[in-house]
Amino acid sequence: MTLSEVFALAFGTVTLAAAFRTACPLLLAGISGSFSTATGTFNIAFECFMLCGAFFGAYGSHLTSNPYMGGLMSLAVGLIMALLFGFFVFVLRANAMIVSVALNFGAWAITTLLLTSIFGSRGRVMGGSIVNYPIIHMGFLEKVPVLNAILNDNILLVYVSYLLVIVGYIVMYKTPFGLQLRGIGINPVGAETVGVHVQRIRWITLLIMGAFAGLAGSYLSIGGLALFSENMTSGRGFLAFAAILIGDNNPFKVFLACFLFAYTYALTAVFTAYDWPTQLVLTLPYVAVILALFLSGLRAFKGKPQIIEL
Amino acid sequence: MGKLNIRPEVRRTAVKYTAALVVTFILGGILIQAQGENALHAYKLILSGGLGSIAKIGNSIRWSIPILLSGAAATVAFRSGIFNMGIEGQLYMGAFTGGIVGAYISLPHVPHVLLCLLAGGLAGMLFALIPAVLKLFFNVNVVITTLMMNFIATQLTEYLTLAVVMGGSMSASGSAAITTPQILETATLTNIIPTTAANTGIFISLGVILLIAFAYKHTIAGYEMKQIGQNMRFAETGGVNVVKRFFAVFMISGFLAGMCGAMEVSGAYHMFVAGFSRNIGWEAIMVTRVAESNPIALLLVSLIWGILKAGSMAMERVTSLNRLTVNIIQMIFVLFVAIDYDGLLQSLYKAFRKKPLHLPKQEEAGRTDA
Repeated sequence: MTLSEVFALAFGTVTLAAAFRTACPLLLAGISGSFSTATGTFNIAFECFMLCGAFFGAYGSHLTSNPYMGGLMSLAVGLIMALLFGFFVFVLRANAMIVSVALNFGAWAITTLLLTSIFGSRGRVMGGSIVNYPIIHMGFLEKVPVLNAILNDNILLVYVSYLLVIVGYIVMYKTPFGLQLRGIGINPVGAETVGVHVQRIRWITLLIMGAFAGLAGSYLSIGGLALFSENMTSGRGFLAFAAILIGDNNPFKVFLACFLFAYTYALTAVFTAYDWPTQLVLTLPYVAVILALFLSGLRAFKGKPQIIEL
Repeated sequence: MGKLNIRPEVRRTAVKYTAALVVTFILGGILIQAQGENALHAYKLILSGGLGSIAKIGNSIRWSIPILLSGAAATVAFRSGIFNMGIEGQLYMGAFTGGIVGAYISLPHVPHVLLCLLAGGLAGMLFALIPAVLKLFFNVNVVITTLMMNFIATQLTEYLTLAVVMGGSMSASGSAAITTPQILETATLTNIIPTTAANTGIFISLGVILLIAFAYKHTIAGYEMKQIGQNMRFAETGGVNVVKRFFAVFMISGFLAGMCGAMEVSGAYHMFVAGFSRNIGWEAIMVTRVAESNPIALLLVSLIWGILKAGSMAMERVTSLNRLTVNIIQMIFVLFVAIDYDGLLQSLYKAFRKKPLHLPKQEEAGRTDA
């Protein structure tokens, strides 16, 4: 393949359309998560929320033959896991890092166990009674050449995730609620003294995050594949967390980071189709995270090693 | 005197583990009953499956080894307040390198094994170098870089095995597994209990942990490493070269994780198998936290963890229960050990005496009291 062919492929509508789609779960988890993170709650349990959401999305769809019921179930299970997280971290004051690691570890076991006991299969379950979200066709877009190929014919959840970016940005920067939660992140004691209910807002943002991260999981299972497989999130939750970190809790910047990672995911599909080694191509999103962190860290470069904080 | 004198921290620890064990026992029992098995019977099977015979003890030892060594890697890092979440990845790099050195270099037995472990350790260390440098020069969050490096390591080792070592084709023996060739006889750690994979690696692991415990107690370097975990600014003001210590801690942690990978290859698998670890690195992080980054406690918890793992595998063979049930029980235990019982009791006590000023205190991102 020549270089120009690679370029044409990398910036072609197929790849961009794939990026537009695959950004959905990252956006749902990343934007909602940036609210919780902005209040100073440390949380790397996105994998847990998403994996549970993915399973219950498939299960709900299987039970009711209605993918939206599946979506509702994934949202509910995300909420429940967030309640569990909050119960341990806020109420029982357990260390957030270790609660996250334990929940991620446990979610793998729980979903795989449920897979075995409900669907009677080890490893994966696909097709059959699991119904995907229906694809939405927008007639008015047909006339627009490039955008039609990229934006049209996606599931509702994809459009919701982009709506969330806009709503998230407005809530974060244009509402009193956003002001309060950003205030908590900067100085919780100060926020408390001016009458902000710190703990209540931390709870609210955590639950928002859990619900959307759970919903993001349903994209993975019933967003087109009609499939649940063991540990199917495979690091997407961590990517969402990375996007929040790189985007500095700003929904718009988080969106940019998510889209970049989704784009590299889309590239993996392109490159694998052209016989590049799958394993190396699959590392692209993670390499992209490290590169993005490196670039955003350039400002901190002082020429000699230093520790600002551990 | 007649009255028993218990140091407060001992009492605190006792309360914590007892509470966590009781809760885990009950919740785990409910979980097992819900799957239609008798909980007490299942617990008995797990115990006898882990300790019931010499061979079963051998299996428990086999599963304790990687937890001990990667737990040592986590302990060194966490004790200094450094969150090396990349143990899993460093372990993969070490295992792959160990597999290569074991298969392609010929040496007498002892030097060969040592070279394997050393090479694995160096590979893990080199892999840990990237997040360490990014942190020191560009102030990039260690948690996120090490997390990402895990995924890179799993894929990279699989690629190297498949494309470079196996020449792009599936193994010659016709199996579908992606593995490096079997390591030479001279590179294998000596088996200590026949029919099991228990090997002399257990002594090396125990030695490493005792060495760490000794260093913390009796050396200046160890003392300084502990100190930066407690209060970095204070340590810095007191003349500790924080940059140097941070770097050393990170490298040691990476080295131990890599060595753990090589030891898995040299002692148990006798070849590098792509994707073999299945969360050893994560289990190590949990075990370390349960042990509160104390090397001696780590020793104890790792052995128990190994017994649980071997026991659950044995249990799975004779009941309808899936061994993942034990993973869930382990998660419950970790969650309940992580609770700050002391703070909880104190705030309850205060709440009963008088209504306290409500000022929520929360741990900072990524910070623990470990």
